[in-house]
Amino acid sequence: MLERSIMQSSGFRNIGPTDAPSGFQLRVRLPNYRGQRLSLVDGVDVTVNGERFDHADNLIAVGGKTYDLATLRTETENRWPLDELATVIVAKPGGLSVGVHRVEVAVRIRQSYIPIEFQPSVISETRTATIVF
Amino acid sequence: MTAKFKYGVSLYSFTDDLNTVMTLEDAMAAIADMGATGVEILGEAHIPGYPDPDPAWVDRWYALLDRHALEPTNYGCWIDTRLRLDRPLDSVTAAGHLVRDIDLAARLGFKFVRPKIGVVSLDLVPDPIWEDTIVRALETAERRDVVICPEIHSPTPIRHPVVDSYVDFIQRTGTKHFGLLLDTGVFQDRPLPPQPGEHPAMRPGYLDGCKVPPEHIEDIIQYVVFIQAKFHNINDQFVDEQIPWDKVVPALKKAGYAGYLSSEYEGERLPWRSLEQVRRQHALIRKLERDHDRSIRPA
Repeated sequence: MLERSIMQSSGFRNIGPTDAPSGFQLRVRLPNYRGQRLSLVDGVDVTVNGERFDHADNLIAVGGKTYDLATLRTETENRWPLDELATVIVAKPGGLSVGVHRVEVAVRIRQSYIPIEFQPSVISETRTATIVF
Repeated sequence: MTAKFKYGVSLYSFTDDLNTVMTLEDAMAAIADMGATGVEILGEAHIPGYPDPDPAWVDRWYALLDRHALEPTNYGCWIDTRLRLDRPLDSVTAAGHLVRDIDLAARLGFKFVRPKIGVVSLDLVPDPIWEDTIVRALETAERRDVVICPEIHSPTPIRHPVVDSYVDFIQRTGTKHFGLLLDTGVFQDRPLPPQPGEHPAMRPGYLDGCKVPPEHIEDIIQYVVFIQAKFHNINDQFVDEQIPWDKVVPALKKAGYAGYLSSEYEGERLPWRSLEQVRRQHALIRKLERDHDRSIRPA
């Protein structure tokens, strides 16, 4: 079973060398009632303790592949299913400190049946989450 | 003897509960427990490995249907007209997607396939490729004995050019494999509560209700093959706060509807709330149907 919140507790960690992290990553479930092909996903904005990391700069890993925004937008075959998590990879030299952080994720999705004027749909949620080490 | 409704539930009702607090097995057991006989799914939501489920999953699907005495009703899919940013979707590609869904739906025993079609305007006019897409998929629908049924969905009312164009297609082609799916959200006559942080000036008008008079059902009933019983909140006093079932049920009975009412709960997403809400809806509609049938029984 997945966690109810969009951002999951597990998977929130620094990446890169332990003594010099290059950034951090977190896992999200798709905040939609259906899975969708990746070209219909338009990235994920992440804000940690007020510092914003734009969807255009973050990477997304799903189905064993890692995408930047440009490749995500052209991936019309592979999908992000409802029962799978995507990992959002954020560059931040030094990573995040051990302890509790206030994290907002904003998942941007495109839905063909909603007028284009209201797209993309941005589904955001804020929670606290913990970097263990 | 008047025509009787059939009662079903769409797994859409359990959005956010499925995969977090509820499994497919839980959902199907709960649907059977409330006396319903039909289960509706969304292909790219409820089928693990969509669009190519493992044969073992398909076996389990049929075992669950068998165990709970449920039949597959409607299968929802999408015609994702904005799949590519660099060019619009063409009808040949769209038909390929739809045919794949019809084949998968038929493989799982479904009789109806609802494509949700991309729109090109603020008033939700479907992308003009819809007609050629349907034409190209119709042979598969006939061979698989499946009815393709786009929905009449709020804020589009029953009396609207979009609905007219679907009816015109049925009349022109004479096909029995294309029909209308009616979503009862069009009958909403009281507002949905404001969302947290909602600004009154930014609130879309349809949240206050499309307010279609239930007697408009008569206009289209001969083409309606399936009904999604959309609702949002039935309170502790057993009153639906948005959908006037006391008017919708008699209108459907008068029109002689004898197909499925498939619950689509679309209210607040708190864990397990959906299940209790769907049970309330079935109790409410069943009671109204009984009351109606008794009232017209000859003395």
